[in-house]
Parts: sequence; C-alpha cells; structure tokens
Amino acid sequence: MIKQLRKRHLQTWSLLMILIPAGIIAAWVSIPKQPTSKLFQPFNTDALPIKLKTVDKLNYIVSLRTNKDRTALQLEWINRSALTSPSALIYEISEFATKDITENDLIGRIDVRGIFHFNLKNDTSLTRKFILYDIIHHQSVDTINFNP
Amino acid sequence: MSASYQAIGWNRQKKYYDWLIFSFCLIYLAAFIILTAIFNSQYTFETVLIRSTSTLAVLILHVILSIGPLCRINKKFLPLLYNRRHLGVTMFFLAAIHGIFSIIQFHSLGNVNPFVSLFSSNTNYNSVHDFPFQALGFFALIIFFLMAITSHDFWLHNLSPKVWKTLHMFVYLAYLLIVMHVMLGAIQYESHPVFVIMIAIGSITVISLHLVAGRKEVKKDNIKFDPVKEGFVSICDINEIEDNRAKIFCVDKERIAVYRFENSLYAIHNVCKHQGGPLGEGKIIDGCITCPWHGYQYLPNNGQSPPPFKEKVSTYDVRIEGTRVWLNPTPYAEGTERAGAKINQK
Repeated sequence: MIKQLRKRHLQTWSLLMILIPAGIIAAWVSIPKQPTSKLFQPFNTDALPIKLKTVDKLNYIVSLRTNKDRTALQLEWINRSALTSPSALIYEISEFATKDITENDLIGRIDVRGIFHFNLKNDTSLTRKFILYDIIHHQSVDTINFNP
Repeated sequence: MSASYQAIGWNRQKKYYDWLIFSFCLIYLAAFIILTAIFNSQYTFETVLIRSTSTLAVLILHVILSIGPLCRINKKFLPLLYNRRHLGVTMFFLAAIHGIFSIIQFHSLGNVNPFVSLFSSNTNYNSVHDFPFQALGFFALIIFFLMAITSHDFWLHNLSPKVWKTLHMFVYLAYLLIVMHVMLGAIQYESHPVFVIMIAIGSITVISLHLVAGRKEVKKDNIKFDPVKEGFVSICDINEIEDNRAKIFCVDKERIAVYRFENSLYAIHNVCKHQGGPLGEGKIIDGCITCPWHGYQYLPNNGQSPPPFKEKVSTYDVRIEGTRVWLNPTPYAEGTERAGAKINQK
C-alpha cells in the first residue's frame, strides 16, 4: 500500500471507531422494554384443556383456553396456512388503548406457520380484543374480538 | 500470476482453502438448520435459511475484515490474504441468499412490487427503533455485489488499481451498514443480550485490529534516517538483511524495499503494481522478487516483471560503505536497470 492509502485506511477506521459503537449503543438503548421471552422465540407452552371461545378466520383459528379450576387463561393461535406477514406480534388492546399500538400489552410473536400458546392475564372478563401487528410493514393485519 | 485471464487461477493451495471454506459453510448451515428443527420446529425452512445465511455471512465478513490488519501485524496470516477474494465472493453469495429470501418472504406476498414495498412499507427514518433497517442491508448487498463482480484481475487492470481500490474500500461503508442493519433489525425484535454481545465483540475486534495495524504502519513511516550524504541516507547494517529477503525503509514518504540477492543489494519501490502488496515482505523465488499477496514477480536489478508480463516498479541506488548500507531515495523511472551494490565477502 502507498502511504496515502494507509493514511486513508487509518482515517476510515478512526471514524468507524466512533460511528459503530455510537450506532450500537443508540440501537441498544432504543429497544422497547418488553419481556424478552415474548420476542426472542415463540412462546411455547402446552395448551390448557378447556376451550372457552373460538374465532375462526380464513387463515387461522384463535381461541381462548383455560384450565379446570379456571385459574389460568391462554390465547391459542393456530395458523391454518402460511401467514402473509412472516413476523407478526399480537397485542391485547385495552379499553384505554392509545393510537400507538405498541403501547398496548404485548402478548407474543408468531411465525409463518405453527401453533402458538400465550398466557394471558386472568381477569374475569372474556371480552378481549387482540390485534395482529406486522412488524416489518408496521401495520395492523387483523383484529380478533372475543365477545361475551 | 498469469499472462492471460482465467476465471480462477487454480493451484493446490487455492483448492485446499476453497474446500475448507465450502466445508465450513456447509457444516455451519447444516448445524443451524438441524438445531432449529430440534428446538424450534415451528419455524419455516425459509425463515431458517434467512437466519442461517445472515449469521454466517456476518461471521465471514468479520473474518474478511480481520485478515488485512492481521497480515500487517503478523506475516504468518499471509496465506489467508492470498485467498481472501474467494472468501469475499462466498460471503456475497450467502448475503444474496439472505436478501433474496427476505424480499420473497417479507415483501412478495402483497400487491406492490417487492422492491417498492422494501422502501415504501416503512418510512420511519426519524425513529431509531422503527428505522427501515432492510434498506441498509439492501445497500450493503449492492456494495458486496459490485465488489464480487469486480473481484477478478480483469477488472483490476481495466478499472485501474486506483478506481478498483476505491471501489473495494466501500466495504467499510458496507460493514457499517451491516452492523446497523443487524442492530436496528433483528436485535430490536429479538432482544436477547447474546446478539448484542456477539456483534459488539465482532466490531471491537475488527476496529481494534485495524487501528493497531494502522498505528504500527504510522510508526514505521515516521522513522528518521540520518546522516545524509550526497543524497544518500544511512539505513542499516548490512547484516540486518537476510539472503533472498528484504528490509523495508520509509524514506521521503515512500517505502523502499532493499533486497539481498546473490551477494548484492538491490532497492525497488515497495508497492506491487497488482494490488499494492508489500514487495519487501516477500522473498526471492526463481531469481525474482515475489509479492507475498498474490505472487506477482519482479527482477531485482530493474524492477520489471519477467516477460511476457509488463508490470514495472521504480528502482533506487544503493551503496555500501564498510558494513553500513546507504540508500538514495530518489526513484529512477519504473523498470530502470541499476547495478546492485556488491557485498565484499571477507
């Protein structure tokens, strides 16, 4: 290498020494504070035995499940065919929901195919509303309503 | 070194390294796919392929970027440099598989052109968390593509070494884009600390190696030589240069390699015409100074490549007084014949 090229290399890496760590730190601190287990892998738990309600959609079947003594509540998501949104999150929408969907309660992440089970807060109401959110295109894909 | 262009100038060493690269990639991808099938069987094959090729490409990119500085720190790594281009092309293919399958999976199922969807589905450029990270990967892939298709010596000769080197230095921009593509993409949604730790360790290693190697070169460049006599500078003792080897001296901002060959000293410009390799770090093979990077050769007495090759480098005057070696840093025209300085054997 000629001296000019060596100098250019050193200048480039001196600049990257600032830009890369700054970028990593900025990206790291901006990660939403959500439970890691909900995003890192699909939440794998066994299905609870009793099915309470079911919403049957074209591409998936979504159910609320519980146990014998009704102390636990679970959302079951069965993809009938491949989802058109490969990386999607499920949010539960509360009655105080804001416009920003990501401020709602994150239930978990689903993939293109498969059966997924997510534990829910076990309150008495079975009126629940869930939104399937495409994290790549940043848009709501579907709304699942469980009415009494 | 070849007088005519071939797709690949195969030799035993290249075949050995290519098999090593191929086997490693195959084992890595197979292990990734099998482990995912065991522990996360609900993932589709496309998803596993996207993830396995991306992690492997990022790993190989870190290895590629470490080879240059490692060679400057320790000559033992030079065989890796000789095979770096094949590693680069392999990395591009893996990155391309990742890119193509990602576009198919994430953008081809709608009613919009997948490339339009890539740039229009998310326009949150003012957000860090929601930043359109896929665009960063796309631009990095374009750089890798340009590098891969121009990696052959045909393009080096036709684009000129200056243009070629400038184009290939865009790999540093591509590296920055890839780090941010990972940090603003996968890590925002799979926030397990292990991913951030891995990318941070990789970046720190690559940056540190480049800075250490760069500073080492600056030190070499700043060595002062004196005294000066009739345009010659005293550079070293004659016994410091081994037979068929050279020592490199940076005089007047340029590096000059002083070779000892058949009881004489010869000085030529240190920069190989092929890719700027350090000729002084090579050795004499078959009577020719041989570049340690890709084997380009030059005759010690005139800096010319042996026929039919046409590469030439500058030559310099050397003389010996007692046991001291003196060098005149004023270059002669490239390929100028200079008689070597005879070493008096006692």
